[in-house]
This record gives sequence, structure tokens and C-alpha cells, in this order.
Amino acid sequence: MTTDPHSETPAAPVLLVRAIEKSFPGVRALSGVSFDAARGEVHALLGENGAGKSTLIKIVSGVFPPDRGEVLVDGRQVDLARPDDARRAGIATIYQELLLFPELTVAENIFMGHVPRAALGRIDWRAMHEKTNALLASLEIHDLRADRVVGSLSVGNRQRVEILRALSQDARILIMDEPTAALTEYDVTRLFDIVRKLKARGVAVIYISHRLDEIFEIADRVTVLRDGAHVATKRVADTDAADLVQLMVGRRIESLFPKITVPIGQPVLEVKDLERRPLTKNVSLTVCAGEIVGLSGLVGSGRSELAQTIFGVTPADNGEIRIAGQKVDIRSPAQARSLGVAYVPEDRGTQGLVRPMTVRENFSLAALGKVAFGGFIDRGAERKLAGDGVKRFAVKTSSLEQIAGKLSGGNQQKIVLGKWLANGPKLLILDEPTRGIDVGAKAEIHRLMGELAAQGLAILMISSELPEVLGMSDRVLVMREGRIVAEFSREEVTQESIGAAMMGSRENAEKAA
Amino acid sequence: MSAMSEIPLPHPAKRVVPWWLLRHETMLAVILLIALVVLGGLNSRFLTLDNLLNQGRLTTEVGLIALPMTFIIITGGIDLSVGSIVGFCAILLGYSWKVFGFPLPLAICFTLLAGAAAGFLNGIVITRVKVPPLIMTIATLALYRGLAEGISQARSVRGYPEWFYFIGQENLFGVPAQLWLLLIAIVVAAIVLDRTTFGRSLYAIGNNETAARFSGLPVDRVKLIIYTLSGFMAGLSACVLVSRVTTTRSDMGMGYELDVIAAVVLGGTSIFGGVGTIWGTVVGLAMIQLLKNGLALTGVKGDATIVVIGTVLILSTLVASSLQRRREGV
Repeated sequence: MTTDPHSETPAAPVLLVRAIEKSFPGVRALSGVSFDAARGEVHALLGENGAGKSTLIKIVSGVFPPDRGEVLVDGRQVDLARPDDARRAGIATIYQELLLFPELTVAENIFMGHVPRAALGRIDWRAMHEKTNALLASLEIHDLRADRVVGSLSVGNRQRVEILRALSQDARILIMDEPTAALTEYDVTRLFDIVRKLKARGVAVIYISHRLDEIFEIADRVTVLRDGAHVATKRVADTDAADLVQLMVGRRIESLFPKITVPIGQPVLEVKDLERRPLTKNVSLTVCAGEIVGLSGLVGSGRSELAQTIFGVTPADNGEIRIAGQKVDIRSPAQARSLGVAYVPEDRGTQGLVRPMTVRENFSLAALGKVAFGGFIDRGAERKLAGDGVKRFAVKTSSLEQIAGKLSGGNQQKIVLGKWLANGPKLLILDEPTRGIDVGAKAEIHRLMGELAAQGLAILMISSELPEVLGMSDRVLVMREGRIVAEFSREEVTQESIGAAMMGSRENAEKAA
Repeated sequence: MSAMSEIPLPHPAKRVVPWWLLRHETMLAVILLIALVVLGGLNSRFLTLDNLLNQGRLTTEVGLIALPMTFIIITGGIDLSVGSIVGFCAILLGYSWKVFGFPLPLAICFTLLAGAAAGFLNGIVITRVKVPPLIMTIATLALYRGLAEGISQARSVRGYPEWFYFIGQENLFGVPAQLWLLLIAIVVAAIVLDRTTFGRSLYAIGNNETAARFSGLPVDRVKLIIYTLSGFMAGLSACVLVSRVTTTRSDMGMGYELDVIAAVVLGGTSIFGGVGTIWGTVVGLAMIQLLKNGLALTGVKGDATIVVIGTVLILSTLVASSLQRRREGV
């Protein structure tokens, strides 16, 4: 399985990471991972959540030291005990959450920590602005002024400030952790322009992304990690998406997504011309009993917003929702719940689970009405409800009184799913149901979804993972900029057709630019 | 990314002591017992039934407010306006009886309603306008006190009918009358918090408000209820206070908010929300009142008493956080 990662290095590596091992209490995050990056190369790092990508880049950027192994920059071993050591070695990292000072200007942010000094230690403001302008010019950025306050900039522009900050410190190795996760398509094309310029200047870019199409667009080589181990390093030209996916998940996709074909029943959810500005525009869709409808689209395309509008978190401004044929006006999650709508949210930790509370309390939270009489909770009924849930979903927990936040991501997700099913819903909206959980738990959740559909539940599944969408859905809807732009049946849908519909406007943006 | 945070941690260290002994409330109760014995040994008048019952009488006004305050702090909120509501309500009681000429029972109802309305105003602004509770109730702390002073014009109202003093000064079955009120309120509050869906919602909101909302709990309604309840209980406390001291003045209840919060927090309720019990608050109340009294009887001066109480608060916080760490097995 393992190919030699150094076999096809285009030039002498500026960064070489050798046999890194790192363990955290209870888990081995990295076991003997090697990696390298050459001058002027974009090297993509790919892997599922928990594969060890973040641990690897945190070691390279000096956030924590490895247990074993070494990091070489320009052939010399470096000791990266602190982030500052990495900066000195010419390594800069741009994290998903940008680390900028929103109240300060572009120039001040770029030179924070290494401002040009004038006599008597005063800040040399002129030099700072001149240097900033020179940096802007070198990347041909003409729409960003040095004296703008960063807080007023778009995410894309803030990211550019971070890149400039890295360049101002003469970074030769730039690590970008999912840089496009929060960007609009237009900003993505501009980001890629800059990455190409950096490449031309000889900077080595380590690019982490879940989006395969981006890797094919921008990267020269790709390294795949799985379960903390190095799986393969390949030239992008020598591989394709199916190959990479298989390397990432380590098994055939088909075996992961066992959607059973079941008869499709009556419409459970009918949405017509639903509006909730700014991210839900004129949405119409139908989900029937026994059907799993996949909702695909880029981050920021309005999928979660649509789900939360249907669920009453952000009630609709306009349009019509029918549940089981009945016209309804959903104003709150409590109301949605009583109508038989369940929503398993995207962010388990902040929206789905009350982490400091026990497994029992989490299971009953959305179904308190079922275990309470006249407002008084029947402890026995509650324990039974939670106990049944633990059994049905095979939650691995030491007891019902275990603190839910201490369980693994997969088990937490099963609790969130279980607490909603305790209500016996008609419609289940799943938002990224398998994000950040391990492959085994993932397969189990997919199996459950299949079973639930077979029992006549209507399921609307939001997912950013194309293989999941392809494997599980009877029908696929694609959202872009708050609208549903395409619909595919199970037979006609392909990764490419979804991708094209998702991106649609990027090509337009390129044409416009 | 999530690899680190979602590792199932190994089980907390083997338990050598039963869990309930490690609870903050239990520890506090033990400390309270020790303090009782020590102070009783220092002064023979301290550990007498008469004295203890009298202390119960004195702590009722703060205690009545501490119960809804426990609810509020469990949700992660705070209500600093309670002392001012006491003053406001006390003035309204006297004013509506003397100036409007309301019969006293009607004036009492009017006062309780006014207290509830004052709390409702806090709640409605906190839930609708999303003003942080700290800021809203600091504002109404000033507002309600200002109203009390404006209405009273620095005049006090005295000479209530004799029957009214029963609540504040007489005994019922050998126990101060207002203490019955407090005891009933404690039992009701404890049952509500421990046994009802409403109580469960309070913990859920305090631990994770977004998840509570997403689980279909009526978060805003629950908050509105507890702030209204807080105002109502402050109104009740005002009536008891006026009955006990036989007069109304606009500075009544000044500083109550701090006594109340001290008792609640001393009792183990987390100021960050999500954790707390009524039983803890009761022990906290008893602790503060008996320390004050015991030290005073032993001849410690007022200033020194406050120093001791401050020290006890700090120590109990230290014990609580070390217990917390121990529970989490860090």
C-alpha cells in the first residue's frame, strides 16, 4: 500500500518530516508519518477527520512537539518547541479560524510582532505602510488598502492579510488548513491566483482540503493519511478522485453506504417558494415517506439555513410548508417537534448535545414530554427511554449517568440521533450526520438511516461528502447561493454532475474576472 | 481537529470515597457543622433553639430571593436588581396603603404584582432585546431604587394594623411565622428544580443554550418566568421585611443582591451556569447567617465578621474547584 513518498520529489525538499510519532492519552494520532515539500510546490494533505492531518501540521508549526521523529528545513534539523521557532525557520501557518486583530489596520496586522522601528524604538509608520504596499503590489492585489481596519474586511480579504503577514516574515513554507472552507467561490478563485503566484516565487505550500476538485486544480502532489498513518504520496497527474477516496477510506465505497431500496410513500414534507433572507431564496422541495433526499452544496450555499428555517429556528419570511399534506406555519423548534419534524444539527458540540449533562439527560431532552406527567419527570420512564436508546443505537457508554461530552464523536452523534427518534418523528433532517466520526460509527449511522427509511421515515440529509450523498440518496438536490439549482435521481447522479451544479457560479466568476 | 477533544478519556480515578461525600453541598454542610460546634463552644447563647430560630427569622428575606436566584444562576444569568425591587416594593406597600388608601391585603397583592412586573421587565428585555442579564439588571438596580426614592420623598410609612406584624414578628407552632413561608418555598423550589421538566430546562439552558433551543425547549419563556419569579419573591421579601421592622424606607433591601448571590454561590451553584442545587443554597444561607451571628456573639466586631465571611467564600470556591478537577479526573 505504501509508496515511497520521496520517489518523485520535483526538487530538493525545503521541508522534510521524517517518521513522526505522536500519541495523546488514549489515542495514537500519528505513527511514523513522513512528508516533504519542495520549493515552488503545492503539496496537498488529504485524509478523513481524525486521520492526523491537524496533528501533523501542528507539529510542523511548533504547537506541540512530536514524541519521535524529526523535522528538517533546508536539510538542517530544526527543533520546533514553540510556534515562534517555526516562524524563525520560515514556516507560516494559516488556520481555519484566522488569527487577526479586527480593530487594527491591514498594515498593523501584517507587521504585528515585527514592526519596522525608527529612532528611539518608535514605530516607523511610513516604512510600515510602504512595505505593506510593496507586498500588496507583489501579489497584484489592488483592492486592499493598508489603512483599512481588518474587522471591516470580507473573509477572503482577511485571509489575504494573513498570507501577506506570512510573506512579511519571509515564510518559505506556507501551511493552509482548509483555506476555502468559509470562502465564496469568487474568493476561492482569487485565493488560487495568489497560491499560483506564491508557487512561482518558490514558496512551498502545504494545502489541506476536503475538496477533491480543489486538489486537482491547484496541487502538484498529494499525500493521503489514514488513522494516523501515511497511506500514499502521489503526483496529482497520476491519480483521480475515485483513487484518492479509496485511499482515504481504505475500502470500497459501496460497502460503506448500504441504502436499501424501499417503496416510496406519500409526501411528508412539501416546501414551496420558501424565503428567509439572506440565505434561503425561493426554495421548493418534496421529501416522501421512505425516501432519503440528499442535499448537496458548498459550505455557505444555504443548506443548514434552509434546514433551520424548516425546523423553526429561523422562521420563514415567505412561502409554504406542508407536513403530511397539512399546511403549517412553523415558528419555533418546539412547534416543529410537535409536528413530527426532527433536526440533527451540523455542530454536535454546540447545537446537538448538552455535553456536560449525562447520557440519560441528553436522551430525554427533546422528548421530556414523553417521560413527564403534569410537568414531573418520571425517573423510571426516563431511564427506560435512555436505556432503550443506548441499546438500539449501540452507544458505547459505561452507564446512563456518564457525562455525554466524554464519549467519542460517533457515540455522541448516536445520542443526538437517538434523542430525536425517541419522539417518533415523521421527518428527519440530518445535517452532516457523519462529520468528524470514525469509519465504523459512520457505517452504523448509515445502516440506521437505511432502516429508518425502510420504516417509512422521510429523511432529508445534508452532506458535504459526495460519496455519502451518492451512496445514501434516492434523490439528490444541489444548492447554490440559497437556491436549489439541480435535482438528480439516484440513477443519473454522478460526482461530476453534482460538482458542476455546486460550482456553477465559479465558472461565471472566472468569466467575469 | 476533533481528534484530541473527542477521545474517550479513561475513567476518573478509582473512587475511594462515595460520590455524595465529594459533593460541594456535603462538604459545606460538614464545614457548617464544625463551625456550629466551635462557635457553640465559644458562646453558650449561640447553640440555643431560641437563637437559631431567631436567625432563621433574620435570614428569611434574603432566603426567599435566593431560591429564584439559584434558578437564574443555573441558567447562566444573574439578577442584580433584587435589592432595589425590595426597596421599590416596600415603598409601594406603604404608599398604596397610606396614600391610595388601599386596604392592606389589597396593598400586599398590589406589591407582589409590582415586584413580578419589575422582574418581568428584566426578563422581557433580556430575552427579546438580548441584553446581557448583568447589564440589564445593573440598569434596573439603579432604576428601581431611583423610583423607590422618588416615590417616597424620603418619608417613611409607619403604623400598620396590628395583624400585619404577625408574619414578621410572631411565632406559629413555636417557629417564626415567616420561616414557615421560607420552608414551604424551599420545598417547592427543590421539587421544581429536581423533579420537573422546568427544572431540567434550567440546567440544559445553563449548560448549552443553543442545544436547549435546538431540542425544542421554550428557552425564552423559561427565562421570562424565572426573572418574573425573582421579582415576585423580592416583593414577598419586602412584605416580610416591612412586617418585621414595622416601617418602610426607600433604602430597604440595599445590598441584598450581594448577600443573595453570595449564599447561592457559596452553596455550590456555578456562576457559569449549569450546576447547582436548592439544598446547596440553603446550606449557603445558613452558613452566612450563622457565621455572622456566631461571630457577633463571640464578640468579633462587624468589620472582622465581613472579613471572615469573605474568607469562607474564597476557601469554599477553592474546595469546589479542586473537587471539580477531581471529579473530572484531570
